[in-house]
Formats: sequence, structure tokens, C-alpha cells
Amino acid sequence: MTDTASSNRARASRAKGVSTRVAVHGVLAGYTLIAIFPVVLVILNSFKNRRGIFTDPLGLPGEGTFSLEGYATVLTQGDFATYFSNSLIVTVTALFLILLLGAMAAHALAEYRFRFNTLLGIYLILGIMVPIRLGTVAILELMVDLNLVNTLLALILVYTAQGLPVAVFILTEFMRTLSRDIKDCARVDGLSEYRIFFEVVVPLIRPVLATVAVFSMIPIWNDLWFPLILASGDATKTVTLGVQQFIGQYTVNWSAVLASLSIAILPVLGLYALFSRQLIAGITSGAVKG
Amino acid sequence: MSELTLQDVRKSYGEAKVIHGVDLQIKDGEFVVFVGPSGCGKSTLLRMIAGLESITGGDVVIGGEQVNDIAPADRGIAMVFQSYALYPHKDVYGNMAFALRHAGEDKAVIEDRVRKAADILGLQDLLKRRPKELSGGQRQRVAIGRAIVRDPEIFLFDEPLSNLDAALRVQMRVEILRLHQRLETTMVYVTHDQVEAMTLADRIVVLRDGRIEQVGTPLELYHHPENRFVAGFIGSPRMNFLAAERSGDGTTVTTQGSAPIEVPVSPRDTQGPVTLGIRPEHVELVAPGAGDLDARVLVAERLGGETFLHFDLGDEGDFVVKTDGGATHQSGDTVGLSFPPEALHLFDAEGMAFAPRERHALIG
Repeated sequence: MTDTASSNRARASRAKGVSTRVAVHGVLAGYTLIAIFPVVLVILNSFKNRRGIFTDPLGLPGEGTFSLEGYATVLTQGDFATYFSNSLIVTVTALFLILLLGAMAAHALAEYRFRFNTLLGIYLILGIMVPIRLGTVAILELMVDLNLVNTLLALILVYTAQGLPVAVFILTEFMRTLSRDIKDCARVDGLSEYRIFFEVVVPLIRPVLATVAVFSMIPIWNDLWFPLILASGDATKTVTLGVQQFIGQYTVNWSAVLASLSIAILPVLGLYALFSRQLIAGITSGAVKG
Repeated sequence: MSELTLQDVRKSYGEAKVIHGVDLQIKDGEFVVFVGPSGCGKSTLLRMIAGLESITGGDVVIGGEQVNDIAPADRGIAMVFQSYALYPHKDVYGNMAFALRHAGEDKAVIEDRVRKAADILGLQDLLKRRPKELSGGQRQRVAIGRAIVRDPEIFLFDEPLSNLDAALRVQMRVEILRLHQRLETTMVYVTHDQVEAMTLADRIVVLRDGRIEQVGTPLELYHHPENRFVAGFIGSPRMNFLAAERSGDGTTVTTQGSAPIEVPVSPRDTQGPVTLGIRPEHVELVAPGAGDLDARVLVAERLGGETFLHFDLGDEGDFVVKTDGGATHQSGDTVGLSFPPEALHLFDAEGMAFAPRERHALIG
């Protein structure tokens, strides 16, 4: 009697476990589908000709619709190699500066006691609430005065400024949780404050640096606003700006637009893969106490 | 030469004074323990010796040299931290070699010193492991090894055993004692655990609110506390205190309606309230009416080897008597409590102890 009762209960709880798992996976799969769908659509249609894109936008590229004309246009027309290297230079340099300066500022705010520490922290973080685009006119004037218009440096500086507030915010919060003992130990071991930062603190915050890098990277890579305003010359065009040449006032070369967008995903995907390895390494190392 | 002298050392953060003028002499090779409740400034004092906190006033002198403005690395000290503070991205060998590598020491010398330290601490087989692959006790051993490798004149320990579980703590305590016997280096050790203080120290420094309450050997502090705070802090369970009235030359007291008890201390004055102190292990249990006081047992805590009887004795609250494990007393029983005069302590209204007429036999 009790045996059947308990086995019934076990069966019921097992069934409940299965149904919960199905529900969870259903939600996750649904979300993944929604997130990936547009990307897949872009890639699929980049392999079709113009007629294929318009007659059957959701169809797979097949006989009569398969075409590499988009890619051919992208690779022959315009200077996409330059655009790509521009985008990469701007993104990677800005990222490097954001991480370096952000981590140093965060270290100072979290580690040292000085007057106006809190005030300085608030000032650095204020940028999160004020979109940098509000200052576009002033930035443009400044860049004109500095003779930086149509240089990659202009973009790098703007993106660094744009990324710093969030970076400082996240990194400061994390650095406050670092053990004070380990830095003191390095001091007793005779390290200078700079070497403590680079040799002790930076290795400890690597996973968070990766997180900040991923967060900061995407908006920089995808930005159209500042390249259009500050660096629209042919030599300094970024990928997102370069794509615009296929979007005319009357006709749009969709195959070329989609092909260039598909190619533009690749480098950012590579960078993401690089950082996410760090992310996962960070998560697992954090799981162990101490 | 690795004596350590603190001369009127002071520390304040803005208006808040944390250390109020500490004077202390630590001899070469001595093991000194700073003990006190949390917030008493013991860790701050240690960090000032290490050079991790600035010194507001006074001098810290190591080996005859004033080191107030000398960087931690150049003071000839090594420190072991409560949280081990191992570099997580370096293996055990890397952790132990780090300071020497940084100092530009010769590779062979580093290798030699790390091996020696690893031998002392039994870390030979763990040198290639990362800190996260070690147990708590192993991590603390690595932290100590890292200090040994630097061959310091003074070891500083900041609550090194607080993160370990009880069994490991006892084991590491013995290891630290053996280490001190072997190295014969001056050691300064901070803890809030009075058992650690009693077992490890050559001398204990009891701190409260940034002031030294008493300095002495463990047994001095146990048998002759200079004030009520030290009396209550050293010993477990803590000393019992009873309010008392005085008569005669001021050293004969009655408490809780007892017959007059003559406490063998030097008389000082005859007026004012006093407090009688006696440790739980010194109270003798006798038949009701035969002792100094009668009391009813509130609770009996049986630990097997020993039994703690709790009594409710008026305004001073919990009164504990330690007796052997075979005691048959039940909650609600009435027993007589007898106070051997030589085990009694007498404190004045400010908590200062009256000096005993005779020192304890174990103390020179």
C-alpha cells in the first residue's frame, strides 16, 4: 500500500520534473529562434539574386535564385577591405583604451581613499545617463578645431568617451569586492602601485574585463552616426557607413547590402568568441571559493 | 637584530582616534600575540608595523631603525593574511617565488629557498598546483611558505587561522608553534581567539579600544589580570563577577548575603563598591550550607568530560561553575558554592584589580 503510494508520488514528481524541463527548454528555444531569425534571414538572402529576395524572402536559395552577385559587388565595387580594417582599427583601439583607462580609474576609485573620491566616481558615471549624441554638435566643432575630422582618431576618441562610463561603473563595483589582503600582500612583496595593478589586479578582473569588452564592442562596431558625421571620407569609412553606398535614393542593391552585412558579422563574431572564452573561464574560476 | 619597539604609536582617521599611544617592546625571537575584541585596533596596529597603514604619531622601530616612512617591502617583515591572499593565477611555486623574483634574486637562490620552505611545510608535492586546487589548510601553508621564503626578520600574522575549521585550526596552531621553535624569528600574531593567544604566545598583549590593557605571559594574564576587562577576556568560560560590600581594611567582602570572605590582596582603600571575581574552574561545589553561598542550578551543560553548571546570582547574571563530567547535579538542585580565597580576584569601581599578596607559584 505504502509502496504503491510512494511510487505513485515518485512518478508524479518525475513527470512534473520532465514537464518543467520541457517548458524551460521551450521558452529558451523560442527566444533563440526569435533572436537568430533576422540574422539567418540576412545570411540566406545574401546568397540570392534580387528577384529571389523579393519573390520569396523566406525561401532557401535554390535553382534560379541562388547567386553570389551580392558578394561579387561588395568585393569589387567600393573599397571594402579598407572599410573593414577601419572598423577593426577603431573598434579594437577604442576597446583597448576603454578597458585600460576604465580599469585604472576603477582601481583608483575602489582602492584609494582621497578627497572627492565619491564625487569623482559620480562624475565619471554620469555619462551613462547622458547620451553622448546630445553633444554631437560640440564634438564636431571640437574635432574641426583639432583638425581631426576625417581621421580614425576622432572616432576612437569619441567611442572611448562613450564606453568609459559603463566600464568604470561595472569595474568599480567589481573591484570593491576584490580582497584587500591580496593587494596588501603585493605591497609587502615590494610591488609598485602600477605593478600591483597590472600583475595582480588585472589578472583577477579578466572575466569582468571580457564582459565590459563585449558590452562596449557591439555599439561601436554597429555605429553609423559618428562615422557619418566625423569620418565620412572614403579613406576613413567604416563598414556600416560603406554599406550605405548600396542604398540609393531610388534603388537599393539588396544583394550587396545583405552580403556586406553578412561579412560584417564575421569579425565581431570572432571577437565575441575570443572574449566569451574568458567569460566562461571567469565564471568557473569564480565558482571555487577563495 | 630584529627587536621591535613601538613608542607612543598613534593612529587616527580624520577626527576618529583608533590607536591611542601604544608603547611596546618586543624582544628578538619572541612570539607576541595581540588579542582583543573586534574593533580594538589590533589589526590596525599590525598593519602599522607592516607599513600598510600610515602612522599618525609615535615611532615604529625595527632592529634599531625607525621605519615610519619606509615601504613595507624594505622593513624586513613578511605578513600572513587571514584570507591567505594567494595570487590565484600563479601556482604554488610561483606564489612563493613571486617576491624574490620581483626583487631580482638569482634563479638558483629562489629555487633553493622555495624548496627549503616547501620541505618545512610539507608542500613538496603541491608546487605545481594552483591555489584553487588546494584545501584551506594547504592554502594557509602556502601563505606561510611565501613568508618564510622572504627570510624576514619579523613575521606578522593577521588572524591566519580564522578561516579554517576547528580541527584544522588546532593542527595549524601546532605547526606555527613548531615553525617558531625552528626559525626562532620574532613573530607578531593577531587573533581574537584567546585559546590561540594562550597556546602560542610568549607574551600576550591585550588590547581594547586602541589601548593596551595588559602585557604579560599567558599565565600572568590568567592568574593576575590587572583589570576586570583582562580578567573577563582571558579564560573560557569567562570569569564570574559578583558585586560585593567591603568591611575591615577593605579586603574583607561579603556578597549575596555570604559570610565575610577575606581576599588575600594588598589593601588600598576601604570605601567604594567592589567586584569579586572567580573563574568557573576554581569554584568548589559543596553540600548546601557548607560553602560561602547556596544557589539553585539553572541549567547543567554536559560536555562529557566536563560539566558547566549555570546559576542565576542576582544582578551580575549568569554564574558558571565548571565541574567534572560525572557530576550528577540536575537543573533545580540547590548546592553550596565555596570560593577558595587564593583564587579570588577583587576589582574596584573602575575595574582595576587589587594586587595579590602572593604571586602564583608558576609565575616568577
